[in-house]
Amino acid sequence: MKNELIIRRLKFAQDYTQLLADENYQLVDMNMVEPFNIDDKRHHSSTIIFEKNEQLFSIRSDWTRSLLNYNENYTLDDRFFGYFGSVVRNYETFYQAGVELYGPSNDEILSSIDMHLSFVTARYDEKFQSIVVNDDTLLDLYIEKYALEDDIRTLVHEKNLSEIKKRLGGSHSLYTLLSAKVSDQIDLVNAEFGDSDIMLFIERLKQLLEKYDMKFILDLSFRSPQSYYNGFYFQAFLNHDYPLLSGGEYNSSAFGIAVNLSNGGLL
Amino acid sequence: MITVALTKGRLFKDFLKYMNKNGLTVYNEALEEETRSLYTIVDNVKFIFAKGPDVPTYVESGVADLGIVGSDIITEDTFNILNVSQLPFGECHFSVAALPDQQEFKVIATKYMNIAHTHFKNKRQDVSLIHLNGSVELAPLLGLSDGIVDIVQTGSTLRDNGLVEHEEIMEIHARLIANKRTFYTKEDEIYDFIKEIGVIE
Repeated sequence: MKNELIIRRLKFAQDYTQLLADENYQLVDMNMVEPFNIDDKRHHSSTIIFEKNEQLFSIRSDWTRSLLNYNENYTLDDRFFGYFGSVVRNYETFYQAGVELYGPSNDEILSSIDMHLSFVTARYDEKFQSIVVNDDTLLDLYIEKYALEDDIRTLVHEKNLSEIKKRLGGSHSLYTLLSAKVSDQIDLVNAEFGDSDIMLFIERLKQLLEKYDMKFILDLSFRSPQSYYNGFYFQAFLNHDYPLLSGGEYNSSAFGIAVNLSNGGLL
Repeated sequence: MITVALTKGRLFKDFLKYMNKNGLTVYNEALEEETRSLYTIVDNVKFIFAKGPDVPTYVESGVADLGIVGSDIITEDTFNILNVSQLPFGECHFSVAALPDQQEFKVIATKYMNIAHTHFKNKRQDVSLIHLNGSVELAPLLGLSDGIVDIVQTGSTLRDNGLVEHEEIMEIHARLIANKRTFYTKEDEIYDFIKEIGVIE
């Protein structure tokens, strides 16, 4: 690996962990070898498991899972944690940096998203081009309102426009929504479910992020590649096809944000 | 600029016919000229030519933003893509085929192991599968299998080899697929293109 990439990653780690410390996040570092937990393997099939002294262990493959296990196993004084460190997936080492918030309020979630965006724009003079958001519960609202079959979820998740049109008809509200340009979807969802808790939260986020002057996209087909996210989820993009920031709700009461550290950080 | 992955062969010819029929000659003139090039650029669209099974790999990785591919390929293997729309061409189907007097199917030869496995599992039929890479019609003729699961277009290859369709198991058609990230970062160009090819009105 080029020296420049290694130095850039370490410099980013220093800046980022300092920011988290200044903002009263508890920084954590942990052993890479962990007691084996079947849920970890379920969420990350690439997790490496080994046996020693008749006990099963795994190598850390995801900081979110490791911190969640830590939080569930111990009584902790802190609710907000930050990390930087390596994980191993399929024999390959990656670096992860991010935060986990346990039992946060909506204000605390918004503040953490804002902190991350502000850090990148102010410290690195970068401009975010777009943020994409969704919440799985929005689709629940459509399913309930229009009494749709549950298997419509798969079609929405894969954005299968032709099959949705065949099933619901070209004038159905859900087809109209999904076939609209993704940046137009928020107005259509607002028109139907603007007073729902989740749309009120998304609207607050949209207003908070207006200062970053980026495209705000809501798409019901947008989902995390990680299956444990089960509520609000977002990705924020610089001028690059991979997101710099991603994060969302998991386990009902936790919220995490991760920074993409490809190419040493900041893409 | 957006990149669209196409596959040369029957699907490509059907795509050109479909575009001609819809008056989209701006793409066709350049595409019809192509013979051996690996890519061509028309206005704001770069078309790349790949092997059919590789089209979803290009789209999944983001090298291509969109792809046109047979539904057989994305049904046989799993890809992390948006499966946006059926296209009105490339129709054919999967069938179980064998010699006309074949009564029982205990051993099936196929290139499409996952599709065949799912079909017989759903029918609760105990069948052994043998993977072959091509010319599967040989297998029942030489006694390697009782029948085959394969794509049937006109049925002429089966007829030429004395085989008949015993059961049609799945329709196949062309599909438009999209990358999950650039669908957002290149929203305007992607919507312009999918409108142009008639996927949305």
